[in-house]
Amino acid sequence: MNTPIRRLFFIAVILFASLIAMLGYRQVIQAQDLADNPQNTRKVFAQMRIERGLILGSDKAELAKNHKEGDLYYRDYPTADLVPHLVGYSDPTYGQVGLEHSQNSYLTGTADEVELVNLMDTLTGKQKRGADVKLTINPKVQATALSELQKIGKRGAVVVVEVKTGAVTAMASTPTYDPNQLAANWQPLNADPDSPLLNRATLGLYTPGSIFKMITASAALESGGFTPQTRFVDEKGTVDIGGFTIHNYRVEPFGEHNLSEAFVQSINTTFAQVGDKVGQDKLIEYMQKFGFYEKPPFDLPADEVAASGRYENGELLSPRDSMDRAQVASMAFGQEQLLVTPLQMALVADAIANGGRMMVPYSVDSVIDYNGTVIKQAQPEVWKTPLQPETAGELKDMMIKVVNEGTGSKAKTSKVQIAAKTGTAEVTGRGPNAWFVGFAPADNPRYAIAVVVEDSDAGGGIAGPVMRETLLSALGL
Amino acid sequence: MQRNRELVNFLPVVILTVIGFASVYAARSSQVDASSLSYGLFFVGLFLLVHLFLRLAAPDADPFLLPLAALMSAVGIMMIYRINPDLAAAQTTWLMAGLGLLIAVIVLLRDYRKLDDYIYLCGVLGVLLLVVAIIAGQEINGARLWLKIGPLSFQPGEFSKVLITVFLAGYLNSKQELLSTTTWHLFGVPMPALKHLGPLITMWGMSFALLLLMNDLGTSLLFFGIFLAMTYVATGRIAYPVIGGILFTGGAYLAYHIKGTVHTRVDIWINPWSDAMGQGYQLVQSLFAIGDGGLFGTGLGKGYLLFQNGETIIPALHTDFIFSAIAEELGLAGATALIILFLVFCYRVFKIAVDSDDGFSKLLAAGLGAGFALQTFVILGGVMKLIPLTGITLPFVSYGGSSIVANFGALALLLLISNRTNREMRS
Repeated sequence: MNTPIRRLFFIAVILFASLIAMLGYRQVIQAQDLADNPQNTRKVFAQMRIERGLILGSDKAELAKNHKEGDLYYRDYPTADLVPHLVGYSDPTYGQVGLEHSQNSYLTGTADEVELVNLMDTLTGKQKRGADVKLTINPKVQATALSELQKIGKRGAVVVVEVKTGAVTAMASTPTYDPNQLAANWQPLNADPDSPLLNRATLGLYTPGSIFKMITASAALESGGFTPQTRFVDEKGTVDIGGFTIHNYRVEPFGEHNLSEAFVQSINTTFAQVGDKVGQDKLIEYMQKFGFYEKPPFDLPADEVAASGRYENGELLSPRDSMDRAQVASMAFGQEQLLVTPLQMALVADAIANGGRMMVPYSVDSVIDYNGTVIKQAQPEVWKTPLQPETAGELKDMMIKVVNEGTGSKAKTSKVQIAAKTGTAEVTGRGPNAWFVGFAPADNPRYAIAVVVEDSDAGGGIAGPVMRETLLSALGL
Repeated sequence: MQRNRELVNFLPVVILTVIGFASVYAARSSQVDASSLSYGLFFVGLFLLVHLFLRLAAPDADPFLLPLAALMSAVGIMMIYRINPDLAAAQTTWLMAGLGLLIAVIVLLRDYRKLDDYIYLCGVLGVLLLVVAIIAGQEINGARLWLKIGPLSFQPGEFSKVLITVFLAGYLNSKQELLSTTTWHLFGVPMPALKHLGPLITMWGMSFALLLLMNDLGTSLLFFGIFLAMTYVATGRIAYPVIGGILFTGGAYLAYHIKGTVHTRVDIWINPWSDAMGQGYQLVQSLFAIGDGGLFGTGLGKGYLLFQNGETIIPALHTDFIFSAIAEELGLAGATALIILFLVFCYRVFKIAVDSDDGFSKLLAAGLGAGFALQTFVILGGVMKLIPLTGITLPFVSYGGSSIVANFGALALLLLISNRTNREMRS
């Protein structure tokens, strides 16, 4: 019997060794991931003894502040459901998301820059308090964007970016929620099929439809083979490419026209042919130049920003994933597994408005410790330079025409010249997603914007007024 | 001779225990005073009394088991004290009851081999306890493991485990030859006569019934694992554990599909994050606690184990999840040391089995050792998400009267076996 007993002990050794190995993995290799998990409230709880810094709007309105119970500080959000998706929440039960999560080290004063100051203050007997975070968000513009979306009553998102700097002026997502009421509403918020907790501005992945023609046109104009005046003839309203028939909206034939008119009237058949000629490599190259296939660098936690590009089963495909001719032609007018975020499309508009230079988007303007010392100030940076200034100018002219004489007439206003591109992406089972992407004023662009409304009317014009009113609010008109 | 070695082995226990209690006390009340030291000394004193008793009653018993058990209990009580001082006082009472049982067993069962005559009584008693738990048991976390008598909660499974091990030791010892005779081959594996496979099928059926009725994969796995290990020791035939393993896997697979609780447990194991606020909460919080410990831990009393109101963040922290608390406050270094303590304890138990010279003793010691090892693996593997989580105590460490008392009962049997072996070797 002794051999089996020795073998049993050997098995016990293996079992216990596997326990130690797993424990080592959890406590050393995985420890940081576990600590950073947004559902891990241990750090949040421990830091509730620190008076967190305020989160302020660009007008210094308080978006997040504290109240004290016993010796713990709890968070209040005075603007309730105005900017919850960007600001996020910090809660001992539900954890931290949004800027409350990504800016936590500043807000709690545990970041290196703040620590030094606090050490001095500890020596001099001052109470420890985190640094304030001032945002680029303008609460007035934010309120306009949100209420315009809420007026429609559908799911959707708006992103407004300051053209020259990349500063995010507004970022709204509907339905929204009140972060003051998490405990009361946690279950319904999570069970709601409209996912109010989701930040559709940065995580919402939408088929772009015709707004993608901005990228196809960029590739076409810069490849040398096309100008805005390049002629096309469309007699049937359909075209066959790679054994696949592509048709216009309502199979409408447009007759003789040029590239600029094809853009203004959003002619699918023409863009399919353009895409076919430009080819997959050039199209993908321009998508990457515009920042597709990577997450835009932004102040939110990395898992709260999605990359745009071709997706399959919820996974981003490699840019080198091969396509046949029909797929390339479909992609050229915004179909074919393409999914984009409103933030990404606002940045595309930013690049066109800004002479071809796309700025790094940011929402944290500055970090100010409680002595009033600015310990961090955002510096505008160019992220990508997808376009030559001339190409950007040609696209701008086309986008002005979209509003004045094309599909974007719903955004037109006598107060300022808006430039835009519209898109209506079919979604199986419900109404299409309506897009308006553009900027204003056209002659000296100050704000770029992307608007998406889910389950909209057939023409997609519903998103036009959201763009118009939000831009007017931003421009103070 | 053995007892002098035991006394030497107690030396590190005394030092660690006194320092440990003092530091937990200091962390709670930010001062060390006479009472904090006396807590540790009282604990050490209890074990030294048992040591003196063994000098008289079982002078040749293994000199490692009692100090190891003392150290494991000390870590447990320290942690329980840190979580809730009132529970630590209760646990100390249970510890005294356990040591009382140990003394009683050593006095009353001096010739423990007489148990061989009462194995069917043990077996029936063991099964009866489980049946009572199933019928009258309270459902906690979906599993029927607890029996409530007045103010006392009682886990019959802990005692049943020891009793059934005794039964199996006697039964398998008597059927040893029949079970190891080959009469036919299955896929080239030599097999005993079909009629002798009866007990194996019965035991499998019982474990499976346990699983369905108690709703508890862990208890079922523990009983069946003990049975397979002992059958393997009795027959030396690898066919038994292999066939048994296949039967158990089949049963577990079936249970996964027909029992909601088993299904949920496995789903939580695969992905606790998808429901981190609900079903996965306990495991997710356990992982956070373990991760927080890092290499050297937060230090005793400094981990994030309690809410402001004194409730534990991880439900059942003092019982099933005590290891998560230990891993957080003592880190990888301390938790690994504890796992190695368990392994050394297993080594001594299996060594007792190897050294003893009769089948009953060998089977009994090996069965208790296998049960001890498997129970430790099931709960530790569960709280660190190595295997699906199942509610079971960590021997000697977890809070719980049944667990502590039953384990000291088993320890007494092991001391008796080693005492007899060593005495015969000496003479």
